[in-house]
Amino acid sequence: MKTVISIDIGSTWTKGAAFVLTGSGFELKEKTSVPTTQDNLVVGFHETLARLLHQDRQTPLEQLKGLSEIFFSSSAKGGLRLAAIGLVPDLTLQLARLAAMSAGGKVVKSFAFALTAGDVSELEKLNPDIVLFSGGTDGGNSKYILENAKKLQSSRLSCPVVYAGNRAVAEDVLNIMKSREVLVTENLMPEVGQVNIEPVREKIREIFLKRIVAGRGLAEIVDLFGSQPKPTPLAVFELISVIPEFYEEWSDLAVIDIGGATTDFYSNTESYLETDTVVLKGIREPKVKRTVEGDLGLRVSARSLFETGQTYLEDRLREEGFELKEMEEFVNRISSRLDYLPESQTEKKLDQILAEACVYYAALRHSGGWREVYTPQGRVYVQTGKDLRRVKAIIGSGGFLSAEKSTAVMAIPLRKLRTYGEEKKLLPDRPSFYRDRHYLFSVLGNLVEKYPREAASLAVASVENLSQKGESYD
Amino acid sequence: MGKDTIVIGVIGSDCHSVGNKILELFFTSEGFKVVNLGVMVSQQEFIDAAIETNARAILVSSLYGHGEIDCQGFRDLCLEKGLEPIVLYVGGNLVVGKTPFSVVEEKFKRMGFDRVFPSDVDLKQVAELLRQDIKEKFGSSLNGQENEGQSNQNQLPGQAAQADQNDGQEPEGSRPK
Repeated sequence: MKTVISIDIGSTWTKGAAFVLTGSGFELKEKTSVPTTQDNLVVGFHETLARLLHQDRQTPLEQLKGLSEIFFSSSAKGGLRLAAIGLVPDLTLQLARLAAMSAGGKVVKSFAFALTAGDVSELEKLNPDIVLFSGGTDGGNSKYILENAKKLQSSRLSCPVVYAGNRAVAEDVLNIMKSREVLVTENLMPEVGQVNIEPVREKIREIFLKRIVAGRGLAEIVDLFGSQPKPTPLAVFELISVIPEFYEEWSDLAVIDIGGATTDFYSNTESYLETDTVVLKGIREPKVKRTVEGDLGLRVSARSLFETGQTYLEDRLREEGFELKEMEEFVNRISSRLDYLPESQTEKKLDQILAEACVYYAALRHSGGWREVYTPQGRVYVQTGKDLRRVKAIIGSGGFLSAEKSTAVMAIPLRKLRTYGEEKKLLPDRPSFYRDRHYLFSVLGNLVEKYPREAASLAVASVENLSQKGESYD
Repeated sequence: MGKDTIVIGVIGSDCHSVGNKILELFFTSEGFKVVNLGVMVSQQEFIDAAIETNARAILVSSLYGHGEIDCQGFRDLCLEKGLEPIVLYVGGNLVVGKTPFSVVEEKFKRMGFDRVFPSDVDLKQVAELLRQDIKEKFGSSLNGQENEGQSNQNQLPGQAAQADQNDGQEPEGSRPK
């Protein structure tokens, strides 16, 4: 019997789990978590590992290392901060944003067309971890690219630049940006509408490993273990990608992960089915997609959620008989004390409504929509973005949703979102709701590369179906 | 490399897709790199695609009779977006009713289209004109330098004459659906 350990170094908690590898797959042996030690991540990592191996905390890491196979991930510094530069907002820029998010990053700002002096100084101020630089199809536009390359070269930015634009001028870009670290990868849109974000994701991941993780002691762990950590969101992304490969009945699934700082939405379903009456506008989004919302979260981002989500919150508070003021006070309380747990029934309800708002706005931004158009040839639907109608399973993960036993937090906002303005949102038609009952998805995601079947199997086995309890969606 | 990129599509709320596919096949076989945006394409989408691909020409189709409204301001938007020397063609069933083609042509030329075609044309000829016009505006037909040459010279192609008999009525044959 072999033990495999997976540790996820989060922004507030370092979570670990020990799995036993049996003939039939993984079994969860135990789980633990300790507060993340901000200035030196190794301390928390060491303690988690020692606990899982039932060893004394004083045992040096070198010794612990030999006792088990160990995988780890890190969401260090609250994730990877990227700035995206594209050409046309609906084409290359949109893809650059998608690529950045599905690689586990957070887009702090995006820029279309030529960078202005103001844009450059804003970029300098934002000081992102990576600039993702794209634009032009292969053999297509080069004017804006070369112009932007010159501006980036003369800026005071210090971060690496990933170039994923027009291949025809990649060498020129390298020449112009001589004194910068520029990593060239395949164009993320080689032809209009053709999506090629895999190579970009891979590059971003490489940089994440080398650069960002180097601080705060993680290099020590990397040296010792001879393996790299995964960005946490990427771990979940890989798990979502792999589940339907082994379990066909789990094709078309979505995962919502509400954290303290961000809300992540993952989906694995075909984004567009071509028919005579549906016309897709803009890019065809990838089958596996992740979006991350930096302004939606239950603690660190509670205040920005309160602003973003005003419309939804007001509506729900009225329905539940609360005043907006009560919510405001609650938000003030939780954003000054990040480890605050709701005490009263009222506070629990308020926390729940906040979580609903996270679901509502994350789903709004992740999903596409339909507009009805009457043409001389009859009624036609114009689709933009991703069609989630065929999604059969929605799984809640993250601290809050893993513990939430009712479908309401996900079902209510999704039901309310069905029509948004003039648009019919393409949300799951008849989903079943599940929860990641032991909050395992991020730690299981670490194991996907080596143990895809086993990780997928345990993920599927450890979710709990919430919809069976007679709560209906429609 | 070395092929001139052209963007094609059917503008507005028009869903006629058969002719559009024929155009794609034809211009590809004529040696152009064709970016086909399909049906129900807005002016903005045409222009976005032309910017990303550094296209030399945009060929707009319209078959359902509302072409005039859909195409209003197309050249102006190109200018706004910095697509200055781009070649603009439009063709199809451009207006409803019995307007003589010469009137239709005049109308669309005033909107800034370089050439206007009825629904029944010899595509070989169109391809030939397209090569000429690209050469005129971009210096050479294949990967030429951009030059300042503004539009609107060299209008009124010889074959516009043959178009007159069409009257913008039901076209003979080439109409999809």
